Amino acid sequence: MPQNSETKSLPWGLTPGAFAAWAAALLGLACILLTPVFPWLVKWPAALTLPMTDWIGSVVGWFLSVLKPAARLFSAGLGYPMLWANWLLTATPWPLVIGVVTAIGWYLGGLRMAALGLGGLSFVLASGYWIESMNTLALVAVSVPLALMAGLSIGILAYEFPRVKKPVQGLLDVMQTVPTFAYLTPLLFLFGFGPVVGLIASAIYAAPPMARNVLLGLERVEDDIKDAAVMSGGTRRQQLFLIEIPAAATQIMVGVNQCLMAALSMVIIAAVIGGFNDIGWEVLLTMRKAQFGQSFLAGLVIVVFAMVIDRMSGALAMERRRYDLRVIGLLMAVALLFTLLMGSSLPNPSDYAAFDPTAAVVDRALGDFTAEYGLALDQLKNTILFYVMLPLRIGLDNAVLPFTWGFMWTPAMSMIFLAVAATGGVALFLTGRRVAGAVLLLLAVTVETGVAELPWAFVIGGAGLVGWVSGGRKLALFAASMLALILVSGLWDRALLSLYLSGVSVLACTAVGGATGLLCAVSPAAWRVVRPICDMLQTIPLFVFLIPVLMFFQIGEFSAFLAICAYAVVPMIRYTRHGLINTPEEMLEAAVSSGATGWQIMREVRAPYAVPTILLGLNQTILYAFSMLVIAALIGTTGLGQSIYLALGKGDVGLGLGAGAAMAILALVADRLVQGFAEEKRRALGL
Amino acid sequence: MKSLALGASLLAIASAVNAAELGAVDEPIKLAINEWTGQHVSTYIAGGMLEAAGYKVEYVTAGYMNMYQAMAEGEIHGAMEIWESNVSEQFGQLAAEGKVVELSDLGLEAREGIAYPAHVADICPGLPAWEALKDCAMQFATAETIPMGRLVDYPADWGTPGADRATALELPLKAVPAGSEGALITEIRASTEKKSPLLITFWQPHWAMSAYDLQWVALPAGEAACYEDASWGPNPNATSDCDFLPARIFKAGWPGIEDKWPAAFEILTNYKLSTEDQQPMMGAVDVDGNPVEEVVAEWMAANEAAWKPVVDAAIQ
Repeated sequence: MPQNSETKSLPWGLTPGAFAAWAAALLGLACILLTPVFPWLVKWPAALTLPMTDWIGSVVGWFLSVLKPAARLFSAGLGYPMLWANWLLTATPWPLVIGVVTAIGWYLGGLRMAALGLGGLSFVLASGYWIESMNTLALVAVSVPLALMAGLSIGILAYEFPRVKKPVQGLLDVMQTVPTFAYLTPLLFLFGFGPVVGLIASAIYAAPPMARNVLLGLERVEDDIKDAAVMSGGTRRQQLFLIEIPAAATQIMVGVNQCLMAALSMVIIAAVIGGFNDIGWEVLLTMRKAQFGQSFLAGLVIVVFAMVIDRMSGALAMERRRYDLRVIGLLMAVALLFTLLMGSSLPNPSDYAAFDPTAAVVDRALGDFTAEYGLALDQLKNTILFYVMLPLRIGLDNAVLPFTWGFMWTPAMSMIFLAVAATGGVALFLTGRRVAGAVLLLLAVTVETGVAELPWAFVIGGAGLVGWVSGGRKLALFAASMLALILVSGLWDRALLSLYLSGVSVLACTAVGGATGLLCAVSPAAWRVVRPICDMLQTIPLFVFLIPVLMFFQIGEFSAFLAICAYAVVPMIRYTRHGLINTPEEMLEAAVSSGATGWQIMREVRAPYAVPTILLGLNQTILYAFSMLVIAALIGTTGLGQSIYLALGKGDVGLGLGAGAAMAILALVADRLVQGFAEEKRRALGL
Repeated sequence: MKSLALGASLLAIASAVNAAELGAVDEPIKLAINEWTGQHVSTYIAGGMLEAAGYKVEYVTAGYMNMYQAMAEGEIHGAMEIWESNVSEQFGQLAAEGKVVELSDLGLEAREGIAYPAHVADICPGLPAWEALKDCAMQFATAETIPMGRLVDYPADWGTPGADRATALELPLKAVPAGSEGALITEIRASTEKKSPLLITFWQPHWAMSAYDLQWVALPAGEAACYEDASWGPNPNATSDCDFLPARIFKAGWPGIEDKWPAAFEILTNYKLSTEDQQPMMGAVDVDGNPVEEVVAEWMAANEAAWKPVVDAAIQ
């Protein structure tokens, strides 16, 4: 919320929210009415477009050629540990690898973890993807220590020098929001061809969560511990490494866990470059043939790895009891004995194919389903396209046609529509619902023109106003100037298309995910069903889902929309449920003792209290939706995602980085706006 | 259909070739493995020939679109199946700088065109004649393309040949770019399962041609004149109002091969593979599920005459 000095000067005693909403709505209305006279309000004149992608290309190109020798040395150096890890994992007989993982499981979490390790790796073995999986594991085994070290140093740096904290956090945001495909070309140029590039890409993506958790952990070390460290003497370095970092160990371990998961999720990206016969390559090959069953199976192998690694490294972050070390000895002895006894008759792990029949059945079932329900699916798609997606994209004035809605939209109808909306808005304003009135008008303006054809002045001005409400003048300036950068770069049209697609998806995710989260908060049984689905959606390579979505709904926006939703809905579900069930006991008791019923408690106590958490979920959903845009481009969407692929194919560094940066800007602006509101709500609730 | 006489597999152009030094036989020659099965077949045969000559061969998986920088730096030594119709701009740049080098045509007879699954002939009875599309375009319309018919085009980074043809031939079709080859195949599969209408820009040799019984739309025959002279063809005001020109499929490699492994350079340059030989092998891999190494090894054992002369000419 802006400072008091700003609010005081507002006319008619408007709250900042109502003021900004009305200002934006009137700006939008003015833009629409003036567009016929001044067409440059919608279309930014080409003469004022700066060739920014070319500039980026030449500046970065120069930098790259300067850095190249050093980078090549680095990548040659990394090649060795990669080779060793690979050799160690593939040359070791598989019973030994399974034995070691089971033993680690026992050490970390007793029988349950041991069973998880044994079961998980047995699944991998039986699937026939053992060699590919070990190659993948080798990649993760080298990239994760790299990311951990980078993350630890960045975190300590930001903690020790508060002045660099802000820029460092900005850098971490950029590392996580610029899509990897956008910088693959420069990475290939710098580090040469092969698995090392995939390794570095995954380290870049996996380091930020580690850095964030290190910083958070160090900041949370209690003052008396720090004081004790100061009083016992010792240099600053000793205090840091001997006292403060160990004290922050639990939080740092959370970072390790997140880092591992992020590295694993990048496996598929490494496969796009190639140079490595890993499980991601297998997913790509089967996806190319549209074999859903087989690519799902290969995807499941990655899910199993993610589960084993997640649970085991998660155990690291918790206090745990000691388990009998003799069991480890026993496990190792059994594995060794088994290997020696089998000797050369040990079956080749690639010969297993236990699930191939299942995969074929799944594949067949997908085909049959498509054949059986094809018409119904088409109808569903058409309904949503005609009545929701097309109007939002190109506006009522273009989407309402005789063969979609049954009649033709005329300019007169536009005028009537806007006039009715304006009257409604004013009526709401006069009856006291001031913000609601403006929102009605805003929606009307957006639906009438369509997101892809919104006047730029309205988008930039609106974002600035929302920023002002959410975080004051600074945020307003940030949001408006960042978007203006996209405008003059010439990527504006594509950015609006991306904004539209991710916007529709976020809307749908908010509705569906919020409802599902609510259901899961009320019913533990529902959560038991939903939770594993959420886990799977988050770890399986998303490429796998493109096949069924395409089979059902063909190439087009609707398929892309569904693919994005499948991934982005998860945080909304998780955070909504989490927020709703974690209401402090004393608040609940007070409500119960005043005689509130179950639903009243939900509406009056739990829901308001959960708002900051739900907003955080919304924030994550937005970021996820943007990160899926690139994958959705494989279906055949236009917008920034497609530009990134085009740039990758052409080896155009400037276009790739420019489009990647534009996408990161959209994501970051949305992120900052939502976080501003969440922060304000939290303060209002006294959290 | 090609006559059997033409089906005589590999052609050894041994006449003008002299025996060459083997060169650095201890260092492996790295051949790129790209994302599709036909390429795997072509590459493993080349690898088998090099091994028969006494070389070590290493197969490196590589993304088709961005492997050329690696090839220029000698980290990949050869790529056996590059489609002229779908080659990244980077190849052109590096080839012009002499950092990668073309190694002659592979010999596959490629064809590109507008295709449809066989059942679509019932939906639009005039097919395969292209003129039929003028009248039944609406049969192919979908929510996104109404009032035009829908034509699925190549991914945007391969160019827009489908859209160009639809415009030049004045067909009421709107081209929708696919995002990837996987998306194209899924379209074909879904159309076959649902018996729904589909027009798609496609190419052969490709396993899907026979697996899904794809037919070509008979466009006006493609000639070079059609692409230069607007008055050629049914539309007097447009170029490309005809079928695709046959796409060239060639091999390329690192320029250093010639000095480092002279005999290998000869083998790779003279290596030829015909569509009639490649297609059954693709089927054995993709339809019957056999490993590509085995399929190729069997074929090489059974058809020694097809490839041995090239190897012998290079090393003897």
